[in-house]
Amino acid sequence: MISRRDFVKQISGITLAASAIQPIRIWAANDKGIAIPGKDDMIVRSYRFYDLETPVEYLDTWITPAKHFFVRNHMHEPISFEAEGWSLSIGGEVERPLSLSLAELSKLEQRTVVNTLECAGNGRSFHNPKVPGVQWSRGAVGTARFRGPRLHDLLQRAGIKPAGKHVMFRGMDQVPGKVPPFIRSIPIEKALDSDTLIALMMNGEPLPKHNGFPARALVPGWIGASSCKWLTEIKVLDQEFAGNFMNPGYRLPNQPVKPGETVKPEETHPVTALGVKSIIVNPIDGALSKSRVLRIKGAAWAGEADIKSVDISTDDGATWQPAQLGEDRARYAWRLWTYEWKAPKSGDFVIQSRATDSQGRTQPLQGVWNPSGYLYNAVDQVKIHVAA
Amino acid sequence: MWRRKFIVSCSIFFVSSMVMLLRAQSVPVPSLPAGPMQQKATTACTECHDAEIVLQQRLSKAAWTKEVDKMVKWGALVEEKDREPLIDYLSANFGVDRPPYQAPHSAAPTPRK
Repeated sequence: MISRRDFVKQISGITLAASAIQPIRIWAANDKGIAIPGKDDMIVRSYRFYDLETPVEYLDTWITPAKHFFVRNHMHEPISFEAEGWSLSIGGEVERPLSLSLAELSKLEQRTVVNTLECAGNGRSFHNPKVPGVQWSRGAVGTARFRGPRLHDLLQRAGIKPAGKHVMFRGMDQVPGKVPPFIRSIPIEKALDSDTLIALMMNGEPLPKHNGFPARALVPGWIGASSCKWLTEIKVLDQEFAGNFMNPGYRLPNQPVKPGETVKPEETHPVTALGVKSIIVNPIDGALSKSRVLRIKGAAWAGEADIKSVDISTDDGATWQPAQLGEDRARYAWRLWTYEWKAPKSGDFVIQSRATDSQGRTQPLQGVWNPSGYLYNAVDQVKIHVAA
Repeated sequence: MWRRKFIVSCSIFFVSSMVMLLRAQSVPVPSLPAGPMQQKATTACTECHDAEIVLQQRLSKAAWTKEVDKMVKWGALVEEKDREPLIDYLSANFGVDRPPYQAPHSAAPTPRK
């Protein structure tokens, strides 16, 4: 006779067996794609954990809607997204350690910063030879209106001790295996900048969970990895945080290296501000145009610098003409641009865009290769066919 | 007694059928390609992340060696005897000469652009 206990055991066994099966999900065998609530029609570079890239054709607005804003997760998202019970602590080299709830943070003076956020590895797939990592194309970038208290105000409330030189961010990312936790730090000067925020809102709504709810750092003009998500702890340190995602992660060689060359960690420095870059969002690569008249569109950004000009070539780089820059602008936000063009004949064309910034930097013709594929910013190009 | 056995058997059949039905209705997640190390690679790599992060890499053997050693340090379970065959498997399937990986999209409730 099977006892009740045996019965429960058998059922538990089945449940365990069922749970051991790979999670069931709808994959992209049909046109519906993978169901990721809140993120529509994104390129899924990784599902577990999420790395979601925006198809370039959605980057044609000054403010990127949350549903099309890219996601770069280094590990699993927090288990809980409850604001109740969540708090942000501020400690380390401070006179008065603090702990603030979401309601308390919301009551502080709020500042809005429109910022173009770009993953340091955006464009990694274009490097040759290939380097390991998420193989982003053009769309690990977006611009949003972030709002929240200034980090400066929080640090001032806590009182920075003279020894405080760097500010560390720890999020609630769930660490798999023995992977080092995703903790990063920024120098105190950037932390005290009046535009560096603890963002609670994005585009007028609470931060979407995949973009850092309930709070994220917003380090404007710098690589996305500086703006840690799901913040739970801020710590003032006497030196740069010593951890994998500061070293050897997110570093660039001090000197240019030959493609494929290895670099000693002591000959590197942290990646901070973004470079000058433009992308073509319309037409997309491989497009077929049934008209000779085209409105070429794109976006250009330069981290902490301003975009001065964007030039377009439609003849393989032989000649360049200035594009018209859009009116929407903010210190750390991209400029949209347009260029009206009439193809002289039907056939294949290569369209290129090249941005120049207020620091005199211009996009290079070839990306500067580095072992982790950071800050790819070569002149963008799309190949199209005009059939008219 | 037979009645209880019958109920238990029916319950087992029902749960198993539901699992099979759910699996049949969904499309399987991408998996690593066939080969002598497929199973080892699957258990070692997909414990922490999906196969697609592997599927999109195009790396030399030297680069794969670095990646495997890093992942072992980070908790991937690879026995010493499997290390070299695993590196060979990854280098053969995801080497620099392989065609690009086409990533899937998330669902688009509104019409696509």
